[in-house]
Amino acid sequence: MNAVLSIARTTLGEAIRRRVLLVILLIALLLLVIAPGMNGLTARQSQTVLLSLILGVLQLSSAVIAIVLTVYMIPNEVERRTIYTILSKPVLRWQFLLGKYLGAVSALGLMIMLMTGTMIAVFAAFQGPNVETLASLARVAMMYFVQMCLLAAVAIFFSTFVQPVVNFFLSGGVYLVGTVFGSLFATIAESQQLPQLVRLAAQLVMLIVPNFGQYNVQNSVINSGAQIVGEGIYYTNLAVYGIVYISILLLGAMLIFDRREV
Amino acid sequence: MKWTRQGKLVKAPIYGLMLVLLLVGSFVQMNQTYPFWRKNYMPKVTDLGQLTGEQLLFAFAGFREMIAGILWVRADSFFDNGDYDSILPIIRLVTYLDPKQIDVYATGMWHIAYNFTDQENRADRRNIPIAVAFGEEGARNNDYTYELFYETGWLWYHRIQDNFPMAVTWFEQAAERKDILPARHNLLSHAKLRAGDYKGALKTWYELLEAAEKEMERNKSQRSNYAQRDTVEGNLDNLLIRLTQRGYFARENGWYDQGNYDTKPPFDVRFSASVTVTESRVMLVEGTWNVFPVGTRVRMILRDADYPNAKAAGLDWEGGDANNFTAPAGLTYVQDELFVRNRRFRKAIDLSRDPTIYPFVKDKYILEFYYTPRVAPEHIKDKFGYNGEGMTDSNFLNTEIREGQRVIYWKTEVTRDQILRRGEYGMEGTIPVFKTPNYVAPRVRNPEDDLVSPGTRRVEG
Amino acid sequence: MSLAIETIDLVKTYKHRGGASNTVVDNLNLQVESGEIFGFLGPNGAGKTTTIKMLLGIIGQTSGVANVLGREAGDIEIHKRISYLPEKPYYYEYMSGLELVIFYASLFGIRDNDRCKELLRRVNLANDMNRPLSTYSKGMQQRVGLAQSLINNPELLFLDEPTGGLDPIAHIEIRDLILQFREEGKTVFISSHELSDVERICDRVAIINKGQLVAQGRLTDLLAGGRVEVTAEGVSDAVSDSLRHENRIVSFKDGRLILDAPDSDDLNGMIDALRNGGAQVVSVIPRRKRLEDLFIEAVAEDDTAKGRQRGRMTDGNSDGTKSAEVEEVKTGEGDPS
Ligand SMILES: Nc1ncnc2c1ncn2[C@@H]1O[C@H](COP(=O)(O)OP(=O)(O)O)[C@@H](O)[C@H]1O
Ligand SMILES: [Mg+2]
Repeated sequence: MNAVLSIARTTLGEAIRRRVLLVILLIALLLLVIAPGMNGLTARQSQTVLLSLILGVLQLSSAVIAIVLTVYMIPNEVERRTIYTILSKPVLRWQFLLGKYLGAVSALGLMIMLMTGTMIAVFAAFQGPNVETLASLARVAMMYFVQMCLLAAVAIFFSTFVQPVVNFFLSGGVYLVGTVFGSLFATIAESQQLPQLVRLAAQLVMLIVPNFGQYNVQNSVINSGAQIVGEGIYYTNLAVYGIVYISILLLGAMLIFDRREV
Repeated sequence: MKWTRQGKLVKAPIYGLMLVLLLVGSFVQMNQTYPFWRKNYMPKVTDLGQLTGEQLLFAFAGFREMIAGILWVRADSFFDNGDYDSILPIIRLVTYLDPKQIDVYATGMWHIAYNFTDQENRADRRNIPIAVAFGEEGARNNDYTYELFYETGWLWYHRIQDNFPMAVTWFEQAAERKDILPARHNLLSHAKLRAGDYKGALKTWYELLEAAEKEMERNKSQRSNYAQRDTVEGNLDNLLIRLTQRGYFARENGWYDQGNYDTKPPFDVRFSASVTVTESRVMLVEGTWNVFPVGTRVRMILRDADYPNAKAAGLDWEGGDANNFTAPAGLTYVQDELFVRNRRFRKAIDLSRDPTIYPFVKDKYILEFYYTPRVAPEHIKDKFGYNGEGMTDSNFLNTEIREGQRVIYWKTEVTRDQILRRGEYGMEGTIPVFKTPNYVAPRVRNPEDDLVSPGTRRVEG
Repeated sequence: MSLAIETIDLVKTYKHRGGASNTVVDNLNLQVESGEIFGFLGPNGAGKTTTIKMLLGIIGQTSGVANVLGREAGDIEIHKRISYLPEKPYYYEYMSGLELVIFYASLFGIRDNDRCKELLRRVNLANDMNRPLSTYSKGMQQRVGLAQSLINNPELLFLDEPTGGLDPIAHIEIRDLILQFREEGKTVFISSHELSDVERICDRVAIINKGQLVAQGRLTDLLAGGRVEVTAEGVSDAVSDSLRHENRIVSFKDGRLILDAPDSDDLNGMIDALRNGGAQVVSVIPRRKRLEDLFIEAVAEDDTAKGRQRGRMTDGNSDGTKSAEVEEVKTGEGDPS
């Protein structure tokens, strides 16, 4: 476990030094530029749009960072031959993979934290500090984090057998499908008009592809007021679901990586 | 179980573990997270075909609300330019993308119900079921707030004016929401009255009075609390006086017959009407109404004989399709209010300038005249009562088409050729005229000479 | 002496898409004894790195046996007792030298910063250990690599092209370090295509070409049988032609003939032939066989159809059409020993 944590720490350190902070700064600037442009809206609309914008940017940039960060993680190690040095030490491959993954996840966590912090600051600056909204912003960001951990697991799984560029689109695609099917595939799966076969296929997709859509809980925050009973349990369940799926993906990745020629 | 052999993972147990995890994951998703998400967070996307590919993409990638917001900002400029046609798709799109946009729902409903009119400012009422359905959708999607329940109730109360129990239902639902403003409760009582439920209206006023007084006690510094209490009290007083004068308590207590109440004896309105198709799609509507004080509007309807969900003197205003904001093509529904002055009404109706609103593609039409005192001004209700107790007509009194009400109703059938002046009605001298048998043309005179008398409190007997 | 490394008929075949396959290591039989410095030589692409990766268990063999320190290659227990310096390594550039060594130490569960510093001092990086690796020269990077490879006090070190791309001074530094390892009783397995360093430090070598072992043995044994170089002036074409013989190299430089022949040949006969032809013998230099010669012989034997190959084996492909140029390089280099 020592080795896993060391690798994770190194991966985190590397990710941090890859100028991702600059990206975050840019996003913050972008928001600061856009936010005052929403003066024409009513108070409720401008809050809605600002929140939606903030969370949208947060989600999209986290997803991009999650994919980019993980897609190149293992190929880079091979290219720099650092992986050989590491694997010639008493480190098993699955430990290496797990370490890399944990490193990526902590880097993601850190970045999402920073971005959320920035956005909360932007929001507070324009809409006044509303503790309740700020707290739920943080909650949504938490769910994004779990979602991104899942996405990183997808990307790292693919990275054990496809090239980074292919992986980028593959993981992006899975993310998209996984996000959409909450609404779309469910509609198909439950539609009475469609043929049985199509509905079964949709159900199968729902079963296999991790359901990213479930983590999109921003709706309730952007338009606050709806009373949702049992959110705490829901979030716990989501975390369980995330961990289960991440485990599946990591196990698969470990199996493949264990037998791969590097 | 051995997980590794010589530093390599062993496949079988790991496959097994993965399978178990997959089952656990699916179970959590299907039984816990997904149903919850569907219920509380899923954006309701009724018809995906309404979105373009990239909108769909963005929408599902989590940018729904942002796109919705930006679109709505754009719609602002269309409002400024009066480009109403461009607004509807945006309203639909925005609410697809973000079903929590209460303002957009409210604006959209109002816009659909009120802003689509023909050249003579008659509403295109074919849209109203759409507005209702849209309001229902909005309320369903935002059932935590009173707002869209209230707005939908308002449509029934103010725009449709034909089914007040519906307005009551919606206002009641609005009243159940905690965030409703105190003053917004008042409309519930008004709606109950118009629905014929004066007891319910009274009860509501009493309850509101109690609540207003409590609220006033609770927060003495709030000015609006006093205002609300005074309003409720005033309304309650008025209602008690009116109910008394109009004999409702007497009826309840069984001494109506003995007393001299305002609604006694029923007054004959002596309705008659004539519709002359002067040119293709142009008609002159004339008639008599033996009520001198101003404030009477007689409803006239000309519609397809087989108009969907049609009923006597109106429509069943529910059952619209909120996914399609364009009025049903090929259907014709004209509704107008004929204002009575000097005991006559006379109005030229030119439908020829709006062929899309009034396509007249069907062969058979129904022409109807209708009057109920429910929506009449108070000085007229003083005589006629809420349910027409004080009103009668030797020819057209109808107690069937509206349960519990005495209304005036006349209906006749019309053909397309008659309205368009085609076929046998296309020739010189064959002018179609529809009139009640009792209609007598007025002596020729200049209507400007008519004397308009100011309203009086009492209706002349 | 026990064997630190032993391979028996080790084969690595890469399958390509479309059915083609490429045997990179072909029935390799190596024996490396404990405590020796073993040179693993061959031109680029010969299969050296591939062999080392198999010995480390980073890739699996197609067939055959690879034993390291008495166990099957890839055994995680073995990894605690060996270390590996990859060819042309890059490290996490944001780290300092010290951080890097500490990181690798942590992979062994070693938390001993003093030891890490000590190792860096040993490779002469005492003053630079806190600078980021991105500011290190190639030689310094290689030295930091050596430092990290010593962290677990390994019994067996794999050094893949440890002097590749380094300047002569750096060469010497690395070479001295490797010699120290032998003093400490470590077994060192060095792969290289550069002969000059290896020649001086290796006890035994193996030469592979195209994945096949072409020679293996004690350096002293392999180098038995020297050569002699005769330089003469005024040699007629007829005489020089008469001197051409198998295993001899006849070349001209500045009008002088240089005859390079095995010392088993009849030296007197050759000098007589020159003299009789009216030539003036300038010098006669007897020479021990050099590793380079061995290398060339081994590779050329394997590759006769393509002609003899000379000089540094920087290119896996011998190219017979350039023999004149090759000859010049050979003569220009002279005898380093
Ligand atoms: N993963 C691989 N797939 C196919 N061929 C490979 C692979 N790795 C190395 N080779 C081939 O194996 C040969 C030997 O490579 P290598 O062991 O790196 O040589 P050396 O280290 O002796 O220079 C080369 O021709 C190389 O192209
Ligand atoms: Mg190599």
